[in-house]
Amino acid sequence: MIKKWYSRGFILFFLFLSGCWDSSEINEMAIELAWGIDKASDKKVMISAQAIIPSKLGGGQNNGASGGSNGKPFFVATGNGMNTLDAVQRMQTKLSRQVFRGHRRVIVIGEAMARQGIKEVFDTYTRDPNLKLRTDIFVVKGDTAKNFLQVSYPLENIPGLGASGEFTQMGSPAEMGMLNFLLSATSAGASPTLPAIAIATNSSLQNEEDQDDRPKSGREGFRIDGSAVFNKDLKLEGYLNLKEDQAVRWVMGNLKELTVTATVPDEKGNVSMNVYKVSSKIQPVLQSDKLRIYITLAGQGAIRENNTRLDLTRTENVKLLQSALNKDAEERVRQTIAKVQQNYGADIFGFSDVIRRKNLPLWKSVKNNWEEEFREAEISVTAKIKVRRIGVTGPSLHLNPHETEK
Amino acid sequence: MKTIGGIGLFRIKHRKNSSKQLESSDLHLSDEHNSELSMELALNEKLLSEKFQASSDIIFRPISSSPKVLLIYVDGLIDTKTLDQVVIMPILYDGASNGRDQVPVSRHVIEEQLIAVAQVQTGLTINDAVNGILKGNVLLLVDGENKAIIAELKGFEARTVEEPAAEVSIRGPRDGFTETLRVNTSLIRRRIRSPKLKMESTTVGQVSQTDIVIAYIEGIVSNTVLEEVRNRIGQIRIDGVLESGYVEEFIEDVPWSPFPQIQNTERPDIVSASLLEGKVAILVDNTPFVLIVPMTFWTGLQAVEDYYERSIYTTFVRFVRFSLFNIALLLPSMYVALSTFHQQLIPTNLLISIANSREGVPFPTFVETLLMEFMFEGLREAGIRMPKAVGSAVSIVGALVIGQAAVQAGIVSAPVVIVVATTGIASFAIPRYNFGTAYRLLRFPMLFLAGILGLYGIISGLFLMIIHLLRLQSFGVPYMNPVVPLGQNLKDVFIRAPRWSMNMRPEFSGPNKKRIPEGQQPSSKRGGQSND
Repeated sequence: MIKKWYSRGFILFFLFLSGCWDSSEINEMAIELAWGIDKASDKKVMISAQAIIPSKLGGGQNNGASGGSNGKPFFVATGNGMNTLDAVQRMQTKLSRQVFRGHRRVIVIGEAMARQGIKEVFDTYTRDPNLKLRTDIFVVKGDTAKNFLQVSYPLENIPGLGASGEFTQMGSPAEMGMLNFLLSATSAGASPTLPAIAIATNSSLQNEEDQDDRPKSGREGFRIDGSAVFNKDLKLEGYLNLKEDQAVRWVMGNLKELTVTATVPDEKGNVSMNVYKVSSKIQPVLQSDKLRIYITLAGQGAIRENNTRLDLTRTENVKLLQSALNKDAEERVRQTIAKVQQNYGADIFGFSDVIRRKNLPLWKSVKNNWEEEFREAEISVTAKIKVRRIGVTGPSLHLNPHETEK
Repeated sequence: MKTIGGIGLFRIKHRKNSSKQLESSDLHLSDEHNSELSMELALNEKLLSEKFQASSDIIFRPISSSPKVLLIYVDGLIDTKTLDQVVIMPILYDGASNGRDQVPVSRHVIEEQLIAVAQVQTGLTINDAVNGILKGNVLLLVDGENKAIIAELKGFEARTVEEPAAEVSIRGPRDGFTETLRVNTSLIRRRIRSPKLKMESTTVGQVSQTDIVIAYIEGIVSNTVLEEVRNRIGQIRIDGVLESGYVEEFIEDVPWSPFPQIQNTERPDIVSASLLEGKVAILVDNTPFVLIVPMTFWTGLQAVEDYYERSIYTTFVRFVRFSLFNIALLLPSMYVALSTFHQQLIPTNLLISIANSREGVPFPTFVETLLMEFMFEGLREAGIRMPKAVGSAVSIVGALVIGQAAVQAGIVSAPVVIVVATTGIASFAIPRYNFGTAYRLLRFPMLFLAGILGLYGIISGLFLMIIHLLRLQSFGVPYMNPVVPLGQNLKDVFIRAPRWSMNMRPEFSGPNKKRIPEGQQPSSKRGGQSND
């Protein structure tokens, strides 16, 4: 009997040897949702963290007098160091609460840092078990990460969540940024891209419409502005604009939906279409010692805007629009690929992986000189968008019936 | 016996059948003068009045007929009006006037011709006489006879059959057991009119001499279970049994388990259904609560209405119940574990809300939750014990003080109040009250484990609990039956199959497992029944 109790006590004792003694209360943590990496002098990195101030966030029992008006519900802490953890140590000296990184949603990289190359600082983001891979990464176009983190965003309390939300609205799979980046960074031939984000009131990069409706004084909001192309050393090579970025992601099959707009030359109008079920097919062939890559873009969708006079209840009119859209998409993708081939020579489309998967002997023959092969490859693009729906009217309703073309 | 991990941890010691017979204690009063009744009435009267010395409720009523007759009974247990009419009047008047003078009025004459009572027994010893009196019978002693007549004329005040307060149902019979054993047996007998329904009587309690009835249906019941019940009840040595809980504690398999291994109910329909499933019911006098064995884990999650409502709805309700009972066990500990150890697992927006409401709360989450759980248990306990008029005051104070004021004052954070309230509601959704108490109890060790070790602690706690549950037995039937060991008959565990498809009795029932013939699925076709 005594023996039995001894054995039970023994087992229970082991319970306390193991387990997590790292208990910490939520109100003793600085919950950090966005994270910035910047270049600092002396080959150091500067880490900025955007942490929430819980008492200033609405919704809880503490809202009311203290909510909203007293300032931003977040603040940015920074620290410089040899590497990330060193910088975090420095940053912690300015914070009364333990930095909690488990809920990081967004990592932003300053442009200077990106140009210097992020290979040397990236290890901790995959090593630390508390960090999640489901994080979005952005490159701040033309600015530092710290500045980006200090910008407030009108729609979201925490600006970091705004960046992540904007990215999702672009039709990209949510929170896959980190994972996709790592996948293409580790691939043999492919080069990674990262979405680029720009602070909206940065005048040199501003779009026309932003100038009209935003006051010059406050730096508020930001926008996804294409993507940043990295080379195999994970150094920033350059940027692609929004349209090009969409084309890249279409080729990669990394897009959930997109909107295609094309002018219809014969009809003096334009047409827009929501495309979903977006997919692509890449077929590499070696023809007379020249690498040819056939890309087939596919998608189905619904016409959402039709500024031509065409009556869409007629099949041949739909076919007309469809071919215009296809032509436009083909052209766009072809130009993008050509630009990447000429300017960057970085295989951001992941052609190398496709070749290796589909034709291993071919890949072995081109692998040693892949960058050159990629620059030289002949690309032909076919788009096969199908119009599935035309909306609720045939011809535009505001047009007089005799104005429409049957 | 198999051991776990070779150490023998959590071994459940099963009851040995040959437990040593306890020595009869001196409480057994009847032993002293177990002499036979004498022929002389005066001597018998003297002996009995010595026994009932200083007992004002024992009435000695001599009748001076020839020969002399003495009536002894307990005042209040006897229907005195009937006693006057059917016993005293015939002896006083009829005995002499009906021309029976020449025949001497003997015990036989009184028993067979004079008193009009249905149940009459003969007592030979003083003990018989004393027991007869105490059980609410009228004892008739006749001068010159050494045998006593024990006439049953019970007529004491008793509660009528009412709707059981603890087990309410929307649909289903509304009668409940009462404190009278015979009323209770009659409620069962009315439902099962079969000679196969057996009701074995026995008496437990050296002082209280409480009647206990073991009810079962012959041919359906498992003989091993029945034998086990008889044995265990036969081995009880206790001075008095005031409630079936007294018996339960003596016959359960593992006394230290938080899980009840014996079901209790106030509803005759539950008892009848259990008997039809091959279970054994133990009825104890003076309590409306009837024990049913064996109990399995799953009976704890079945409500009586499951069998009266349609099976589709019942199946849905069962899933709700299963989730609620997990909530009742785990929600507070999960909250503590997630918010103090594994904040990564909380969705970001929820974490922000929690962080917001936790600002300025002085206690750690664990202490906060423990405090609120404790307060909730206190509220519940006070609500039960309070007189009804004060009960509403308790709930108002509870709702205002704990629900609102504590949160507004910033002493407790709102999520904890939500967690505790949800847990409370969930724990009341467990249909069997005594089964729910097990979970209410286990919540606290779980909370401690979560507070010390986080999710790891919860998992360890669950492992311990599951190991215990798997080793637990009720009267030789595995507690998790029929899921562990996996049986064929799972139609009444997670789902409740339609009545016509539950063809078999549970596995622990006796040899006759077939319950109803197959192929009774109704359909709109002619004849109303499909052929497949």
